[in-house]
This record gives sequence, C-alpha cells and structure tokens, in this order.
Amino acid sequence: MKVIEVKGITKTYNPDKVPVEALRGVDLTIEAGEFTAIVGPSGSGKTTLLNIIGGLDRPTSGDIWIGGTKLNDMSENQLIKFRQKEIGFVFQSYNLIPVLTTAENTEFVMLLQGRSKSERDTRVKELLAEVGLSDKLDKRPSELSGGQQQRVAVARALAAKPKFILADEPTANLDSASTSNLLDIMEKLNHVEHMTFVFSTHDQRVIDRARRVVVLEDGMIKSDDRK
Amino acid sequence: MLTLKLAWKNIWRSRTRSLVVVASIIIGVWSVIFLMSFSLGMGDSYLQSALKNEYGHMQVHHPNYKDDQEAKFTFEEGANVGSIAGVKAYSPRVLSNGMLSTGHGARGVIIKGIDPELEDGVSGIKAFVKEGEYLETGDQRSILVSQKLTEKFKLGLRSKVVLTFQDENGDMQSSAYRVKGIYNSGNAMVDEMRVFVDKQSLAQLMFKNDSLGNRIHEMAFMLTGTDQMDTVQSQLAALFPGELVENYKQLAPDLALMETQIKTSGYIFIFIFMLALIFGIINTMLMAVLERYRELGMLQAIGMGKPRVFSMVVMETFLLSMVGVPIGYLLGYISVKSFGTNGLDLTAFSKGNEMFGMSSTVYPIMDINLFIQLGVAVAITSLVASIYPALKAIRLKPVEAIRKL
Repeated sequence: MKVIEVKGITKTYNPDKVPVEALRGVDLTIEAGEFTAIVGPSGSGKTTLLNIIGGLDRPTSGDIWIGGTKLNDMSENQLIKFRQKEIGFVFQSYNLIPVLTTAENTEFVMLLQGRSKSERDTRVKELLAEVGLSDKLDKRPSELSGGQQQRVAVARALAAKPKFILADEPTANLDSASTSNLLDIMEKLNHVEHMTFVFSTHDQRVIDRARRVVVLEDGMIKSDDRK
Repeated sequence: MLTLKLAWKNIWRSRTRSLVVVASIIIGVWSVIFLMSFSLGMGDSYLQSALKNEYGHMQVHHPNYKDDQEAKFTFEEGANVGSIAGVKAYSPRVLSNGMLSTGHGARGVIIKGIDPELEDGVSGIKAFVKEGEYLETGDQRSILVSQKLTEKFKLGLRSKVVLTFQDENGDMQSSAYRVKGIYNSGNAMVDEMRVFVDKQSLAQLMFKNDSLGNRIHEMAFMLTGTDQMDTVQSQLAALFPGELVENYKQLAPDLALMETQIKTSGYIFIFIFMLALIFGIINTMLMAVLERYRELGMLQAIGMGKPRVFSMVVMETFLLSMVGVPIGYLLGYISVKSFGTNGLDLTAFSKGNEMFGMSSTVYPIMDINLFIQLGVAVAITSLVASIYPALKAIRLKPVEAIRKL
C-alpha cells in the first residue's frame, strides 16, 4: 500500500530574484512498512523533499499524495490538521517542549487531538516503555541526555498513530551508543508495528540499517536501492 | 486547558524577565490606587469643607436673592423641615453683606445671623472655636469672628467691632458687638469673609417692622448622604413653593467640576500607566516569542493550529499581567486603609491647603470602582499588547522556524 507518492516534484527558492532549484522533478513512492533513508550531500535537496512530504513546505510544481490524500490543494489550516493526524515528526534538535515532562511531551499531540485522559495515559506508558524511558516519565528535557530526548521525540511522533514518521537527521547530534540505541528502537517499531520510517541523513550508521536508500544529488534522485 | 497549562508554564521560563513585568504591574496598580485614593481624599476634604462652611448639601433662597442680595428677598422659615427623611441638620440664616469696622480698620464681610444650635449641626462651627465661647441663642451683642480677622485687625476677646449694613428698606444700620469667640474653620478664604451673630439680633435691625417673624434669607441643609439629594430636594420644593431650592452642585458648579476633574485625572493616571505597561508587555512578549521561534515552529509542525498558538501567546500575556494585579490590589488596599485611618500628614503644605479649605491631614478614600476599572484596564491592555507578539508567533513559517538556531 502506497503511503507516500510524489510525482514530478520541483522546488525553486527565490524564483523572482536568484532562483535556486532545490528539487528538479522528483518521483518517489514509499510503501507501508518501509524503512527508507534519503541520503545525499548538503544541498542535494533531501531536507526540502522531507519538508514537502511532511506538508511543511509546498512544491513549486508536481503532486504529492499521502495515504491517497492529495496535499497540494490543502489550505494551511488543513495541512496543520493533516500533519497532526497523519505524520509523525522527529527533528534533528529533538525540539521537545522544555517546560513539559517526558510524559507530557509524549501525550502532547494526543491532547491536541482531544483524546481522553485514560487513552493518553495508557498510550504514553506503552510508548515510553517501548523507547526504554518508563522510569523518566516526570523528567523534563533538560534532565535527559540527547539520546533520551530523541527517544522521547520518537515516542511523541508515534503517539498519534501516524501513517509514517519523518525523521530529519535524527542522529546528527547523538553519540554512537545513543544512535545505535535509537536505531534499534526504530527498527523494532518498524518490524513489530510496521511503522513506516523515512529519514534524511548523511549518517552511515543509519544508511547501513536502512532497507531502502534513496540517493539525491542536485535535486534529483540519483539512485534508489532496496536491500 | 492544554493551552492554559502550557501558557502558565511558559511565563515562568524566564523567571527574572517575568518578575520584572509582574513587579512593574504591581507598582503601577498600587500607585494608581494610592494616587487616586489620595486625590479622592483631598477632593473630599475640600468638598466637606465647602459643604460645612459654605453650602451645605442644599439651600433654599428667595428666587431673587441669588441675583440681587437685597435684605427684602426673604421667605418664611417654615416648620417641620427637620423631620424630612434624609435631613440630618438644617440652619435658618439671616444674611447681609456689610462692613466690619474696628479700631484698626474696616473690611467688607458677610454677616451671618444664625440660630447657634442649629447652625452648629450644619457647619460644626462650635468645634472650630479656638478662643472664648460659641454664641448662644439670644446673645444680643455678641459676635463670632475668625482668627484671620483678629490677626488682621488686632482683635481679641471682648474687643468691640461695629457692623454696618442696609436694612430691608435700604436704610443703613450700625450696631456694635463684642467678640465672644474666635474660630478657625481651616478655610482661610472663607473665614476672612464672614462673621456670625445671633439671628434674632440681626433680624431686629434688618426687619424692623417684622422682627419677631420667621423671615430668613437662607436655609441650609446637611443630609444623611448625597444619595438622598434628589428626594430631599423635591420635598423641599414642595415645602417651600415658589422658593429656589438648590443642591450644592447647582449652588457651586465648581464643586461638581472638581468631582469630575478628580475622576478625569484618575482616568488619565490609568491611561498613562496603561501606556507604559503596553510597551513593557509588548517588549517582553516579543522577546519571549522570538526566543521560542523554533519551538513555536515545531508546535505548528506537529499540528498545533494557529488559533491555538495565538491564544497561547495571548494567554501567556494575560496571565503574566494578572499575576501582578492582585498583589497591587493588596498593597493598594493596605496603604489606603492605613492612611485612610491614620491620615497622611501634609503639614508642610498646610498653608496652601488651608487657603483652599483643605485639611492639612488627608485621608485617602477607597473606591471599589477604581479596583474594578483598574483590573479591567490591565486585562484589556494585556490583551491588546499580546496581539502583536501573537501575530508574530503565527506568522512564522514552521519549515523556517525549525531550522533556526
């Protein structure tokens, strides 16, 4: 089942001044349960592609479908609601809410969705157990290591039961042990819960674990290999 | 609830910065309350002095007396005025503009012929007697003069003065009096202009043909409260048909103007405070928003809608402002209550105050409406001040904000 489908995506920044073509006709389909790394050198367009897939940015041309829903025609508010329900985000800098605890950060999206307290509590405990942070429920981000914060971010991304998770350079700020631990968790979620993961990365450790590697260069797909 | 919880936690992120805003609100609220209460107290001191010394809450005159203060424009004293509900005291007066002559000079004065007992109920003049004694009914040749006049004309107790005035026929009358009492009401301007004698002794000279009648020029009333004014005024109008019944606001529009001016100056205080506050809040909240640019972008990225982000920033501003208001209220309440009981001694400025009939000790007056107005003003100001930072927060592009360092 297609989770993500992009066709003929182009993205040009500053079209009226000094145009920069970040994407030049990208076609990509990602099926449910895939564990995909989008790789490429800096400026290759991988973050731009991820932002467009995540509904954070709009393509200059081309179409994008998520779970069969076309994003191109959605208004800003519709996109926000769509992201809330259908997409989980993991950012390079964790981006947790510093004033909230681990549990509160994890349940945040569910609160936005208006889920009941009992449902939230159960899901938070379940998710934090999965990412190995059951004993850190009441800790604030400042009391956690970088690896632990990123695991909270993964738990938060999963909380709303999205169609897939977009992770933009999720290991860029982590040491080897934390990276390995995070990738173990993501792989497990992929295997056990069939959660679809799409990473942008230059981290060889992530590339080695990915089952599909899409290489971008100069805004175009250079290769697309499944292991 | 989520937005409220997050807003509350957010305002304590930068504790020092938030406390500076809270402190400025506390000081602002407290100072406005105190300044306004002080102004109200000062205004009330002036008003009470004017009511006691000059107008009372209400006066009755012959309709022509106000324009042409001739002795013939009198009316009958009437009976039972004291039994009207709301009337605390009343004083019938025979008045004349005359000349006070002494061995050291002469000056024009208002001669007030009073019933000593009734007059004391209205003006409380007996308590102001500093030397000698107060008048008694039937004191034929006694006069009560002010300390100001005794200083000016070197008068003492039992000094002789001569009053010259026109009777109702236009003939000049002169009569000698001896100083029985010297008073100081605290209103130098008024004191210098008036002397008191027994009503009957003045009436005998003024209304020769009708000296035993109840003819008077003025009836002054003190009421139990200003809220009774309209009711009493209409009852007096019925009791004295054809006479002019006026309340103090009609008698002295400057008093009404002063009351309005105090209120207006209060609004100006509040406006200035709000103006200072609005910039302080905008600055603080703008800093708070710009500092959290990436986080706000992340919130929108993971699905927090713009209305929710907007209301979160508005709520943060509102909560930040409202934390200071109760503390400002409390400080204002304590200081007004304390000075309201013990008074604020302005002896250093008392000469100037007395010129205008104000006491040297001011008792600030608490006005609950001021608390409400101030609270509402701070709330509105904080909401207005939050709009720009909140717009800034929702106008950011998540995709750009997330990447901001």
